Amino acid sequence: MAVLDQLIELTADGVVYSSIIVLGSIGLSLIYSIAGFANFAHGDTMTVGAYSTLVFFGILGGTSISVLGLPLSFFLALLSGIAVTAVVALVTERFVYKPLDIGSIGLLITSIGVAFVYRALIQIQFSADSRRYDIDRLRPIEWLLQYNIRMTEHDIAIIASAIVLVVGLHLLLQHTDLGRKMRATADNPSLARASGIRVRRIELWTWIIGAGLAGAGGAFLGLFNQLVPRMGFNLLLVIFAAVILGGIGSVYGAMLGAFLIGMVVQLTPILTSIGIPIGSEYARALAFLIMVVVLLVRPQGIAGEAVGGGG
Amino acid sequence: MADVSTLTDPRGYWGDLTSEERGVAGFLAAAVLVLLALMLTGVLNPTYFLFLFGLGGMFGLMSLGLNAQWGYTGLINFSVAAFFGLGAYGAAIMTASNSPIAGDMNPIFGLVLGLILSAIVAIAIGIPTLRLRADYLAIASLGLAEVVRLIILNEGQWTAGSQGLRGIPAFFEGWPVLSTLPETLPQVNIEVIPGRVVTLGFPFWRQLLNVTLVLTFMAGAYLVLRRAHRSPWGRVLRTIRADEDLAKALGKNTYFFKMQSFVLGCLVMALAGVFFAHLQLFVNPGNLDPTTTFYVWVAVILGGAGSNRGALFGGFVVVAIREGPRFIEQLPPAFLTEFPPGFLRDLAFITDDVLFELPSIAISPGPLQLLLVGLLIVLIMRFRPEGMLPPQRELIWPDAVDENVRKRPDSGVREQRGGDGDE
Repeated sequence: MAVLDQLIELTADGVVYSSIIVLGSIGLSLIYSIAGFANFAHGDTMTVGAYSTLVFFGILGGTSISVLGLPLSFFLALLSGIAVTAVVALVTERFVYKPLDIGSIGLLITSIGVAFVYRALIQIQFSADSRRYDIDRLRPIEWLLQYNIRMTEHDIAIIASAIVLVVGLHLLLQHTDLGRKMRATADNPSLARASGIRVRRIELWTWIIGAGLAGAGGAFLGLFNQLVPRMGFNLLLVIFAAVILGGIGSVYGAMLGAFLIGMVVQLTPILTSIGIPIGSEYARALAFLIMVVVLLVRPQGIAGEAVGGGG
Repeated sequence: MADVSTLTDPRGYWGDLTSEERGVAGFLAAAVLVLLALMLTGVLNPTYFLFLFGLGGMFGLMSLGLNAQWGYTGLINFSVAAFFGLGAYGAAIMTASNSPIAGDMNPIFGLVLGLILSAIVAIAIGIPTLRLRADYLAIASLGLAEVVRLIILNEGQWTAGSQGLRGIPAFFEGWPVLSTLPETLPQVNIEVIPGRVVTLGFPFWRQLLNVTLVLTFMAGAYLVLRRAHRSPWGRVLRTIRADEDLAKALGKNTYFFKMQSFVLGCLVMALAGVFFAHLQLFVNPGNLDPTTTFYVWVAVILGGAGSNRGALFGGFVVVAIREGPRFIEQLPPAFLTEFPPGFLRDLAFITDDVLFELPSIAISPGPLQLLLVGLLIVLIMRFRPEGMLPPQRELIWPDAVDENVRKRPDSGVREQRGGDGDE
């Protein structure tokens, strides 16, 4: 029975954590499929989102009206943070990645440099100390506690916002002109160009959407834990694991992979309880091993469409 | 050949160099002069200088190892820090005074354990990852390096966990003459500027011994790798890098060659780790931080993929970037309180304001290092993706060089072998 209680408790945490990973993974997968390289700066893009939200929230201050324990101004700051992250990504794309002519591996290496620059600038401005949003921490919601679920209203807000963003992206991809063009471009850039799609414009939109989602993920990560300059870099590999598990280039695969990897990371303590001697300190290691196994056994991931193009 | 012709015909040797090589040589000469001047005037502590030089050699070694993987074969190995750490921990487990399983043994055993550990792990990581596409290999190796770090951090019964291993002896401890050599050497005082005596005593000699060790490791690794690179084996690796399908079509078992290149490179990285353990005299899991991996990558990219000389050069530049900010941070107070009374304070533009302001400009060294390395990566990839010293003649057997076409290709080759019909 104790194991079941623990399972419920960890699952609740896992759902929140997975929501954050989902937001990071979608962006990474989108950029991977359209820009054609593994963007190692994606984790630090999330950090940019977290810190710009921090700055805007500091400017706006708290408001009396709050939704789910979060002042309304936080959501405003979040939107501004998302916008800043998208702009940062666009500027980087325009002035760093675009002028390069060195293939996907060169872009990959360049993105590491970009990641370092983001992180260094944030650390110079905000120091390496951890920070929090100026929002009171909440106690778990009472009526959920009777089911052994420990969730705060903030956790609910993270999950709800992630769902809104994911559903929004789904509608965008399936039911708008831009979405169709994005899917076409990801599928086959040359064909898309030949059929009159302005591929360059689609690329820019992909960066905006991918970085924006990452920014939101970073802001929620700051709410879930705290803000440190390394937060995004530390999450990067978990996100890669999620994207690879789901299948690179597939947005829906990334969502599923992110959910599974997030759960694995958060549910690892259960292994000790049921007698498998792998402690929670190896949660991340477990995620990476799953990633390597997936690469070996099923490199196209769960959502396995045919692999091709990509890099 | 280079060594001989440098001595017998220095001017001709200089004339043979490409403009890049001249630039790098000039840069190195200037750097050495500046450092020597700083040392003789007492601004830079000679023992600290040797320590930095040791670090440079260590990064040079790691770059050589990575070059054997990325430069020769095109393997994107993002687990450099893990193999460096395995070498360091192999050495530390055998020799540290608080080692949970062995300890207080002769450093030679540590060297052997470090190399064996890294070879085993290299094969274990290589088996699953070397079949993967290039960018997948990058991600997978970074993930597995993190697994290695987590194991070293959490398996305290072998590694003493986060507190690290202490009391590691110097590498030459227990050797016949070398173990006591630093104590027996006399103290030397050098006085270039009157009143500023630079003393070279026991710590200096001990550090000099360390530098000798890393130079030996470097020379050994350099010679082996250069020989390997020029051999038929090395040519297969170069073919794999250029076009793996072609190598397969020629009947080469590319997976096997990639594995050999991977293990060879990892052994060299572990050697750097062994040296580090005996330089720093303690190790902890922080030494496996993935950032080290990317510093080594910068060194190799900066030097030029495939170029051993470039890798060594890059290693030293990276140490300058890593330690420079730390040095600059320390510099203004010391520099301004001790140095300027003579001549700097007389300069019109150095007012008390400036003196007061200077130290506060200094950004803490950690993020500044990161910023410089990040910018360096972006700038190299943008303006000189082939690096500063891309391999040219060093890939060719000296005997195979046709003396009549010694000149650079744009003059010699076309004149001699004209008539191909192309522009």
